Amino acid sequence: MTRYRSVLFVVLMLFGIGIVMQFRTVMDKDTGSGPSARELAQRLDGERTEGARLLETLSKLEADYAERLRQIGENQGSGEFSSLLEARNQAFFQAGLTRVKGSGIVMTLNDAVTPGDMAIEDYIIHDSDIIPLLNELRIAGAEAVSINGERILGMTKTICAGPTILINSSRYPVPFEFKAIGDPQRLYDAMENSESVAVLRIYDIRVDIRTEPELVIEKYRSYGALGDLTAGLEVVVQ
Amino acid sequence: MKQGRKSGLTFALTMICLVMGIIVAWQYGSVKANTQIASFEKKRVSELVEDILQERGNNEKLQQRIEELQNELAAFDTEASGDRDAMETLRKEARIARIIAGLETVKGGGLLIEMDAAGDRIIEDRHMLELVNELRASDVQAMSINDERIVATSEIRKAGRYLMVNGHQLVTPYVVKAIGDPKKMENSLRLLGGILEKYALYEFKVTLTPSDNLIIPAARDDEMALRINLMTPIEP
Repeated sequence: MTRYRSVLFVVLMLFGIGIVMQFRTVMDKDTGSGPSARELAQRLDGERTEGARLLETLSKLEADYAERLRQIGENQGSGEFSSLLEARNQAFFQAGLTRVKGSGIVMTLNDAVTPGDMAIEDYIIHDSDIIPLLNELRIAGAEAVSINGERILGMTKTICAGPTILINSSRYPVPFEFKAIGDPQRLYDAMENSESVAVLRIYDIRVDIRTEPELVIEKYRSYGALGDLTAGLEVVVQ
Repeated sequence: MKQGRKSGLTFALTMICLVMGIIVAWQYGSVKANTQIASFEKKRVSELVEDILQERGNNEKLQQRIEELQNELAAFDTEASGDRDAMETLRKEARIARIIAGLETVKGGGLLIEMDAAGDRIIEDRHMLELVNELRASDVQAMSINDERIVATSEIRKAGRYLMVNGHQLVTPYVVKAIGDPKKMENSLRLLGGILEKYALYEFKVTLTPSDNLIIPAARDDEMALRINLMTPIEP
């Protein structure tokens, strides 16, 4: 009889442990501290809607502004204003602050469909994969480059932030779409023969490259005042 | 009789143990799943918080930019001074754009980084690329390597034992000038497990000197650094 009792004792003890564990996980779920993921997702949606609205307002204002400058130029007809406007537009073009068109390539990067035997991190695209690709595009003579519509300038940051990558000042998940204007065949050959692309393909990261006879690349989207980008710089006249 | 009673008890106990065992295993599985869900949720929450902060920051800045443009437009409308204001605005905008493009020589405070190989390993393009990128991540505003201005089209490539930037051959020591917040840049380079630690393993000799007067020359205007001949602007 004592043997049965000890068996019963063990069985009931396990049962008790089971109930306590269940109870605790249920408790943990209920008393999660801070706002829930759902609340945060709603707040993020709110910020994004607001952002889209502001961007729309801004692009309308920019169009008004450009129109206004053109009107003043026409009314004046004077050489000075027109040449200033022309110099300003040329500088914007050189700085990447204007939309541009030309021929080039489109390259799309997407995570591996199913991870293989190696570490899961190897099947995901990181900033360290994107940086050499940008450099190789530049070596192949790219004149304007964008990733997911973000124009890449000389001081553009690309930082890996969890499953997304921060480009300029916005975060993007996969897929990453590179657009590059330059000599299409030269760009295409450079990327198809690139060691970095070959390594990505070993890890089943999908890299599609195609040439495009006409591409449009967005201007650099400047948040904040234009001068913020150069706030710490003073021009040296030589 | 006694035998029969005993086997009945054994059978009952076997059934109880079986049921308990199934319950415990099931329980264990659900506890494990719950903790996994909890860790996913926690990660998701911190990502969401970061996303919200990023979006909010962007929106505040957009608001500023909108106000800036509204003020410019309002200034155009106040007759007399309007045209003169417009000309002044055009000059200012052109200057800022030329700085961003890298076509103006600029001065400012920042960090001077000198780098040379002290061991067998030479400094390769990818090492320099990594350094440049770390500086970009720390909000650098203007940069040069051996006085070659880094612009949107600047490449860094290996050319024999040395590097080539903007189509020009450089020799060691490499001197990187970075205008921005020197503390921020230095901290990110010195991060534990960061790139300076790695360079020490490669036996690169690296010195960081904060300076409040760095001069970074403009990109040469020879289509080697800043290339724009294969594209056309689309006016707004």
